[in-house]
Amino acid sequence: MTNAGSSSSAELAREVRLYVFRQAAETGRVPQPPEIAGALQRSEPEVVAAVKELAAGKVLILAPNDGNIWAANPFCAVPSGFKVAAGARTYWGICIWDALGICAALGQDASITAPCGDCGEPLRLEVRQGRLVHSEGVIHFAVPAHHWWDNIGFT
Amino acid sequence: MLLFRSEEHIDRWSQARDLPRGATLTPEQGWRLAHGWYRNKLQPDWRRHTLEETEALLADAGLTGPFWNLRDE
Repeated sequence: MTNAGSSSSAELAREVRLYVFRQAAETGRVPQPPEIAGALQRSEPEVVAAVKELAAGKVLILAPNDGNIWAANPFCAVPSGFKVAAGARTYWGICIWDALGICAALGQDASITAPCGDCGEPLRLEVRQGRLVHSEGVIHFAVPAHHWWDNIGFT
Repeated sequence: MLLFRSEEHIDRWSQARDLPRGATLTPEQGWRLAHGWYRNKLQPDWRRHTLEETEALLADAGLTGPFWNLRDE
C-alpha cells in the first residue's frame, strides 16, 4: 500500500509538473493549484500536496506568504523587471539567469529587457537561433553557488 | 542574479548594501549557463541535474574556483 501510495503521489507530481510548465510556456502564465486541480480533475488538496512535493524537490518555488507557486523556474508567476518577449507572448523571470533560461526552455527567438540593478536603466539582450546575438551589461551573482538555495529569493 | 550596466554599477550596488562583491559573468557566460540549465525543462523526461552535471555546466561556462564550488565546505 505504501509503495502504491508513493507511486501515485509521484505520478500526480509528474502530471502537475507537465501541466504547469506546458501552460507557462504556451501562455506566459503560471497556473495555481485551483486551476491545476480543475484541469487535471483532481482535488485541490491533492494538487497542493503535489505542488509542495515539487517545491521540496526544487522543481518549483513557492511564495513565502501564501504558498502559491511563485516560480516554475525559469517562469515567474508574477510580473517582474526581467521581461522576455518571444513570439506574441510575454514572460517574466525572477532574475536575469531565469530570463535567459526562458529563452533556452522555449527554444525560440526572444528579446529580454531588464533593469540595471543599480540605476534601473533598461538593458536589452537578444537570442536568435539559439545564440545570444545582442547583449548589454554584465551579470552579477551575489551569492556563492553552494548557498544559492539558502534563500533563493535573494539569490 | 542581476544585470548591471557595468562593473562600476556593481560596485555602487554592493557598497550601498554593504555586501561583498560576488562573481561577474559576461552575458555570453550567463547564456551558456542558462541554456545548459534550462533547455530541457519543458521535456516530459526532465530531471534535475546531478551534482556532477551541474559542475560540468558551470565549468563549460568558464565558472570555476571557490565561488562556484557546490560541494560541502
